[in-house]
Amino acid sequence: MQATADYALARLLQLASPALPVGAYSYSQGLEAAVESGVIHDAATAGVWIGDALALSMAKFEAPVWCGLHAAWSAPDYEGVRSLDERFRTTRETAELRAETLQMGYSLRRLCLELGEFDAHSLGELGSMEEIAFPTAFAFAAAQWDIPARDALVAYLWSWLENQVMAALKAVPLGQTDGQRLLIRLGGSLSAIAKAALAEDGTGFANFAPGLAIASSRHETQYSRLFRS
Amino acid sequence: MIPAEAIAQHALANPHWEARLALEYARRAERTVLARRSHSGPLRVQRDLYPEGEGTCHTIVVHPPGGIAGGDSLAISARLGPRSAALLTTPGAGKWYRTHASAARQSLDFEVSPGASLEWLPQETILFDGAVAEMKTRVQLGGDGAYTGWEILCFGRAASGHRFASGLLTQQTEIFSGDKRLWAERARVAGDDPLFASPVGLAGHAVCATLLAAGREIPNEALAACRDVPGGEGAMCGVTRMPRLLIARWLGDAGEDARRYFTALWGVLRPVMKQSEAIEPRIWST
Repeated sequence: MQATADYALARLLQLASPALPVGAYSYSQGLEAAVESGVIHDAATAGVWIGDALALSMAKFEAPVWCGLHAAWSAPDYEGVRSLDERFRTTRETAELRAETLQMGYSLRRLCLELGEFDAHSLGELGSMEEIAFPTAFAFAAAQWDIPARDALVAYLWSWLENQVMAALKAVPLGQTDGQRLLIRLGGSLSAIAKAALAEDGTGFANFAPGLAIASSRHETQYSRLFRS
Repeated sequence: MIPAEAIAQHALANPHWEARLALEYARRAERTVLARRSHSGPLRVQRDLYPEGEGTCHTIVVHPPGGIAGGDSLAISARLGPRSAALLTTPGAGKWYRTHASAARQSLDFEVSPGASLEWLPQETILFDGAVAEMKTRVQLGGDGAYTGWEILCFGRAASGHRFASGLLTQQTEIFSGDKRLWAERARVAGDDPLFASPVGLAGHAVCATLLAAGREIPNEALAACRDVPGGEGAMCGVTRMPRLLIARWLGDAGEDARRYFTALWGVLRPVMKQSEAIEPRIWST
């Protein structure tokens, strides 16, 4: 039992690691534009932006959709996977956010196809999708490695959070200790977000964050930038 | 206009309005005609006009009670036949009043055939404090059918200091092209929602507006020209382009500022969306 749990934990750390070759570090999801416009200018305002994006956007849409994807891959219900994947792709607010999830999804899918780890039938389904969103590919690997949904979702949200804080460290810029403090504080909310997302029946889904969408739109023409979104 | 007392009396006798309006447009030779219209309850077409020639039918949709209250439901559908073109607008702001026992609902169901163009350019929607509103918009595009639509949501009445302190808005918008979904958004905003103050939400503003132009590829020059349109003093705006879709978003404090911004964008987009110049409906300036 313990060996199985340890195996799942190690695979989960591998999936959530910044070393996963999907290029997450090159995206800021509008954060860099919020720095440019002055909305983010220190650790406190970076914390507000990232914490609100987590609580008001990720928690309300990406997290519950991720739960549905994990359940559909686990069942397996490939129609369900395709429907949720389309739903996620077509709710991206801007061209950059759409390009980001498609590029990261493409990279993670290619990795999954090359690893020689997974069940051939599911790999066939994964490979046959025309375009694929990042959470769809991530949920595939988590389901295939028998990682429990809640653990995998907390790790998924954690990797998003860590990436946002790292983007703030570079773009604002902030010191390392400020970054670690943000991770401790905001990381504390992940358990409640995951719990609520797993209980969501679809009626509470909302992907409405106009300030974030405007920042991301403006980033598309930002003159000086480090990030691709 | 119906006097306020008459509305109040009617509301007492008949507390829920169930209103439907179904419109069908067809192209006959060079003219777009409103080939079929049916309505029930207080929703109707005030006029169909041709201010820019026979090809495009301008239609003013009126809801005579002037406001929407709990239990009311409004359903508007429009079907655009091949090569027809219609512009739908409203004579004034849509007002959603405080609801008590039950929610108020609106559904918009649009179907645009190949070669056709539909423009849904209503005046602003005002959500009064305490309104529980459910709005659904579904657009189905066939072939190269084109849709331009906007929604200007005013939460409370900022000018007179009335906030949207209680209530709930749920809004769902979906655009399909054939059996593929092009885009979708679902909003759920409660009174005093943290979204109002948040920089990722309304960033302290009371008006949130979205323009969608779907069904055509937007060329680089038109995208750049849209991005050059100023949002106005104190407002925030952004324009993005995805396959066969352009989205412009605006946050500010007055519905008419949003309308001015969108009208300027519409002027840029119309030659792309329907190969003609924008002719503003006169009702907007009355």
